[in-house]
Parts: sequence; structure tokens; C-alpha cells
Amino acid sequence: MSSRTYFIGGLLALLVFDTFAQVCFKLTALHAAPLTFDLPWLARAFSAPWVYCAILGYACAFVTWIVILRHIPVGPAFAATHLEVVGVVVISVPLFGEVLSWVQYLGAVLIVAGVLCLAYGEPNYPPGSTVEENH
Amino acid sequence: MNTVTIILLWIINLVTDTGGQLAFKAAAIENKEAKGWEHWRHMLKRPWIYLGAVLYVGEFVAWLAFLSTVTLPEGVLLGMAGIVTVMIGGRLWFKEHFTRPRIIGISLILAGVALVGLGG
Repeated sequence: MSSRTYFIGGLLALLVFDTFAQVCFKLTALHAAPLTFDLPWLARAFSAPWVYCAILGYACAFVTWIVILRHIPVGPAFAATHLEVVGVVVISVPLFGEVLSWVQYLGAVLIVAGVLCLAYGEPNYPPGSTVEENH
Repeated sequence: MNTVTIILLWIINLVTDTGGQLAFKAAAIENKEAKGWEHWRHMLKRPWIYLGAVLYVGEFVAWLAFLSTVTLPEGVLLGMAGIVTVMIGGRLWFKEHFTRPRIIGISLILAGVALVGLGG
């Protein structure tokens, strides 16, 4: 796979796993409410199946992140992970009834534009290229 | 809370965030010949992935402490500096290039995160 393919494919996979984990955390928090910062609160949190889904989501995101870093420079890759902000914000509207302002929608559009710009800027090296070629 | 403490927490957050990302990068690119499980076995024998994990935990604690001293929009805005420090760290450690698409792309993302953080 070319580095551009790793950039786009890896980021989309990361977005799915990260958003999944964040949504599961939110569902865990709702299940464990009210927030009391004590052992019963922790027990409520860990009695929710969602917390284990969140841990699984984070584990998958971590493996994906290491694979991305093997092929993509860390500077642009880390910036592009902020696509997660868009994923979480967009999914929180239908799922949790949160209301977004037009400024936030504009911000989400700018993040997507920035990620597309980074993807476009990645050289389209053929399979087998080493990471040194891809700085 | 006084300003010095807030700045100190912000700096700790930036250092742990940036250090963690750079450590994971170092872990990921060592032993380029290794593939699949062999690569993961190699990474688990080396210190970088553990350093990255420790810094990640440190960042989590520092972020929680930092967010208790500032509002969320302020935290998101100040936390964005991590995008810049990771890029500079990548340049210094891994000799990554500041190409035009990368600078434009990262600037757009910085502006976008700022709007999402402030626009609520």
C-alpha cells in the first residue's frame, strides 16, 4: 500500500475505533451517573458492558495508530487524528441530542479540509517504500 | 489557582503529550524489516512503547488537572499547541519535512479545532 493509502485508510479506521470508544465512554458515564468519585461510582461504571467496549475500541485504535506511525510522519499524522473531534461531535447530535452551533459545523469542515490537504500532501510512494523515503 | 500553576500544568501536558507521540513513533519505526507479530514482539522488547505508555498516563492525569483550572474551550485552545510541538518534535527527531500541504493542512486543523472548542 502507498503511504497515501495508509494515511487515508488508517485514519478512517482510527476514526471509527476512536469514535466508538468515545461513544462507549459516554454511555458508561450515563450508566454510572451520578458522578460521585467513589468506589460505588467505579463499581457502577465497571458493571456497564459499555466500558469493556470502550477499552476494546481503544486497544484497536492503539494498534491502528502504531501501524499508521510506521508509514506516516508523526507530525501530520498526529494533527490528522483531530478528525476524531469531527466524528465525536457529529455522532453526538443524533445519539445524545447535543446541539451544535454553525461555528462548530464550520470548525468541523475546516478540520476535514485540513486532513484532506495532509492526505493530498503525502507522497504516493509504491508498496515497499521505506519510512526514510517518506519524510 | 495562580497563573504559574496553570502554566506549569499546561507545560507538563504538552511535554507528556508530545513525548508520548514521539516515543510511539520511535517504537513504530524501529526494525523496519520485521513484519506483523515479529514487529510487535520486537517493540515489546524495546523501551519506547513503554515510555510512550507511561507518558500517556502522565498526560491523562495532567490533562485532568489542567482542565480543573481552566474552562473546556480554554483547555481545548491551549491543548492545540500539542499539534505544533509534535510537528516540531518530528522535525527535530525524525527529520520530517515542513512541506506546504502539511503546513496548510495543520493550520486548517488548528483553526477547525479552535472553532469547535469555542463555538459551543
